[in-house]
Amino acid sequence: MEDLAQREGVNPATVLTLGIEEVPACDTETASSLALAAAREALQRASVEAAQVDVIVDYSILPQEYLVPAWNMSNKLQHELGATKAFTVGFSGGASGNFLMALSAATAMLQTDGKLKTALLVAGDIAIPGNHIVQGNGPVTVLGDSAGAVVLRRDAERAAVVDVEIATRGENHDVCYIPGGALERHEPAMYRLTIDGPRYEAALAGDHLKKAAARLLERSGLTIESISCAILPNVSRAHHARMLEMLGLAREQVCACKLRDQGYLQGTDFVVNYLALTERNALKPGDHVFMVSDGMGYMSAAALLRY
Amino acid sequence: MDTGIGILSASYYLPPTRKAVADIFRDEEIPQEKLAADVDFQRDIGIEAVHVAGKESAASLALEASRRALQQAALDPKEIDLIFDFTSIPEEYPAPTWSAAGLLQKELGATRALATAVNTGGCASYHTTLKVACAMMAATDRYQTALLFAGDKVPEFNHTYYPITVICDGGSAVILQKGHEKRRILSVEVATAGKIHDVWYIPGFHNRERGDTKGKWLHMTADVPKFNKEVIPINLFMFRKVMRDALARIGRKQHEVSYYVYPTFSTWDQKAFCNAFMIPPEKIFTEGLQRHGHLQETDMVLDYVDALEEGHIKEGDLVMLTTNGAGFSWGAALIQH
Repeated sequence: MEDLAQREGVNPATVLTLGIEEVPACDTETASSLALAAAREALQRASVEAAQVDVIVDYSILPQEYLVPAWNMSNKLQHELGATKAFTVGFSGGASGNFLMALSAATAMLQTDGKLKTALLVAGDIAIPGNHIVQGNGPVTVLGDSAGAVVLRRDAERAAVVDVEIATRGENHDVCYIPGGALERHEPAMYRLTIDGPRYEAALAGDHLKKAAARLLERSGLTIESISCAILPNVSRAHHARMLEMLGLAREQVCACKLRDQGYLQGTDFVVNYLALTERNALKPGDHVFMVSDGMGYMSAAALLRY
Repeated sequence: MDTGIGILSASYYLPPTRKAVADIFRDEEIPQEKLAADVDFQRDIGIEAVHVAGKESAASLALEASRRALQQAALDPKEIDLIFDFTSIPEEYPAPTWSAAGLLQKELGATRALATAVNTGGCASYHTTLKVACAMMAATDRYQTALLFAGDKVPEFNHTYYPITVICDGGSAVILQKGHEKRRILSVEVATAGKIHDVWYIPGFHNRERGDTKGKWLHMTADVPKFNKEVIPINLFMFRKVMRDALARIGRKQHEVSYYVYPTFSTWDQKAFCNAFMIPPEKIFTEGLQRHGHLQETDMVLDYVDALEEGHIKEGDLVMLTTNGAGFSWGAALIQH
């Protein structure tokens, strides 16, 4: 992390306080090549042939090989996977909450369209060169390069998606964004992920996410204490602490965190943390898993899974 | 299948400034690569002029269209549950990190909405978004009303999408409501052919070439040989597939379709579509081509609205909205009037 901080011109001491020791970083790979590998792995684990996939849902958050939305990685993946009968959908915005947005939309499609049985959620995110460390009022997080993939199947016997609750705060649409590189500004210095520190702080101090999480739990007839495991985005140690306090979670309920080893992977945080949990056999049938994202002040999202 | 969801209102906004297509051809670099179809691109395009946004932003085009749709529906923005941005070309800031959905949520005061963007499908993004929106609304009682919008503004010297069309700037908006009995969305089909994902693309800032002083990194780029070789041979086949599948979902036949809304790309493209599916001129809206050219995904809204307002669509009509998108996607939606 010290090397990375020095390369990006940031005081290493300020970065080390985030609780992130190292992050995965790409050399020659592309976001879609990472996503392809993740998708193949997920399909293999699910024993699902690519040709059986009905819909591919992209939840990437960082710029892709070509400019989105004119181009989207999901179509390239459709081809490279051989998902011949699938169609593609992708979502923008909401930082790590975009995974929960994709989860919500995919679940709804599988629930309501009798022709759709299998969905592949996938993302590939590679930091803009020199922009692994994301600044607000000082470093906010460190981005790892990564890809994630999840296979959803209608009537699956475990890890059922019970419900998802999402709300957005339009006034925070530009708390976390890339100020240049599309229609608005063309200066190279503007082409980097930026966080408006004071507004992000104000968003975290509010109760928007707390209310969204409470609505979800209430609908499901659950309390925060009955949650077996909460999965949070790996933004920073301080962010974790604030989320725990905000949601009333006990530290031992947050039982799968890759913050230290992988840093912030956007929506893929939910995938790697969930996998870490299952690999430790930390879940038993009937356990409720709670996924929560503050969407960098914009998208408050929570999902409930029953293992 | 009947989604139980109807179109409460639909509207569009075109910026007032117009530019003649002859002037666009004068000002822009038009490729000389040969087309598979035996046409002269400039002579046969069939578009007289397009609207240009000038200083208006892409989001402001969408915002104006959304306000019109809300006014038409007499709907308080606070009643909107879902907002979907279905714009298919770059907006103010890079996607997928950002979309105009949040900005419009703020500007409209749609405080209880969930605002997101569907960023796939090219000109078929309207269909992809309809499919997602209808599924989300059908899956829960929490979502009763949705606003779908798009705002498209191309760079000043990138109105020509050779070999397909000439692009117009503009915005569109549609409001969907669960239980609305008129203009019911009966079925939506989307198909994508991933192999041709890169027939159309915009390079992006990170792919800009040294010495690019014209901002070509933000221009739509076409792989014309791949378009000729890969898209042309399957295009009508894919149209047939999505339209047939949309009809099959509700047990209807093509002859029951009263009216078609089809993109305004060019005269030769419209002719090829009508010939292939034996659609007589009175059953398809083509007037928009000459008036304003092509508005990406907004064609589906704009031409639908104009066809409706000009009396081409009547009570009881079954209307097919169908399009292709960026070479790799196709969509078909059936609306019962």
